[in-house]
Amino acid sequence: MSTLVWELAPVRRRMLLAWAGAIVLGAAAFQLAAYAARTLPARPPFEELAYYPSGQALRPATLGHAETAADLAWLRAVQYYGEHRRSDLRFLQLEHVFDVLTSLAPGFESPYVFGAFALAQEGRDFEAAERLLRKGIERNPASGRLAFELGFLHYVRPGGRDLHAAAEWFERSTHLPGHPPTAARFAAFARQHSGNLLVALALWNQVRETTDNRFLRDIAEREVLRIQEAIATGRREHAVRRLTTPQVLLLPQ
Amino acid sequence: MNALLIAHNTFREAVRDRVLAGLVVAGFALLALTRIASPLAMGEDLRLTVDLGLSGITWLGMIVVLMVGSSLVAKEIDRRTIFNLLSRPLPRSVYLFGKWAGLAGALSLVALVLAAALGAVVLLMGHAEYLPSIAQAAYLACLELAVVTSLAVLFSALSTPVLSALYTLGLFLAGQWCEDLRRFATQAPEGLRTLLETVANLLPNLPLFDIRTIAAGAQTTSPEHLALATVYAALYSGCVLLLGSAAFESRDFK
Repeated sequence: MSTLVWELAPVRRRMLLAWAGAIVLGAAAFQLAAYAARTLPARPPFEELAYYPSGQALRPATLGHAETAADLAWLRAVQYYGEHRRSDLRFLQLEHVFDVLTSLAPGFESPYVFGAFALAQEGRDFEAAERLLRKGIERNPASGRLAFELGFLHYVRPGGRDLHAAAEWFERSTHLPGHPPTAARFAAFARQHSGNLLVALALWNQVRETTDNRFLRDIAEREVLRIQEAIATGRREHAVRRLTTPQVLLLPQ
Repeated sequence: MNALLIAHNTFREAVRDRVLAGLVVAGFALLALTRIASPLAMGEDLRLTVDLGLSGITWLGMIVVLMVGSSLVAKEIDRRTIFNLLSRPLPRSVYLFGKWAGLAGALSLVALVLAAALGAVVLLMGHAEYLPSIAQAAYLACLELAVVTSLAVLFSALSTPVLSALYTLGLFLAGQWCEDLRRFATQAPEGLRTLLETVANLLPNLPLFDIRTIAAGAQTTSPEHLALATVYAALYSGCVLLLGSAAFESRDFK
């Protein structure tokens, strides 16, 4: 083999030797990289996302690609949530991450919704969740979805529902495009169980008259009768139920 | 001997280049800026100085690699000075090795000067405990720049300066992400995992040279890490330079 190599023209021989050397060194470097990855301790992370810039400051730096940057930030936000959801259940930078993301893309609705519920439930920071959704509504005043979700946030508020606020936002969402079909039902239900029977009656009547859903119409009719009876007999407890207090039980996965 | 002569000439040429002087000044300015901005750092000014000082060494070094390294061979081909060299009994691998050694030496000098300036600033702030970590981080930055320089020399021998700068930058970025790639591989299904791990091992393993996170906390790394990084830099640079030589040998200048 070696005689064969030396019989080649000098240029070819040098080329062949260079290739052989490259392969040997490359294989050694390859093995060493794998060995280093296995044996050396993982680098400690920076204080996580501490250097994540503010959305307003980041926007000009995206050179007109704020939406793309928002998409990347969205990926990072979901990863951040997932990492901590599966490990320590501590979400110290969650509000910051979603604030950056929604500043980059104010019309991107999913982060407001996802971020708000993650903040309220896993992050146990209802005020931050409400701030995020209100920011979304301020930037997207015509969004029925965001108004409904803010109502729903109040409806499932951990530690104590706020049915008045929930009903307020559910009702508001029914007048806006993009609200879910169940918004009117939620509005009527929240009004009823917050004790405002007259408004609840009007809302259930509205549901009964406008819905195409047979089951929903049945429910609306049943609730209308129940409220009418409660008003007529003066037994409010007949129509108003004391709803359970929502709780969030989190277990590391 | 020939390689040393070429290395010496390349080193001298690089040191005389205005780009290098400008970047050293930029490095000093960066350090000064961290001191000026210290009131904004909410008590973390030392961390800011060390972090930015160390990052500055790598980034400024990278600028030199991209601006000087990527045109290292192409410039000589353009000026036709390469014919004087290659018409002599000089293997092309020796020529490429000399070019790499010269530029890597110049970059190490820049890293040394900037690290010394950073060390002086830290010392003036009364934190001598940071000096060993700064020295280690600067040494690893030199190794990292040597690996990237070998890539720049490889591409410079094969392509135009603009393209070789782009290729070098691309591999530098990919190399920085190879740890993430390895982490991602652990979550991937079996076949994809093997593929991703192979790619991660083929890319220049640049996170191996990064101890800036621990250096910011005045901690040092193990001698084993330093030894591994040194051997890895030698093997990877050697492999890349030999690949460059193999391709350069077949290049026809007629």
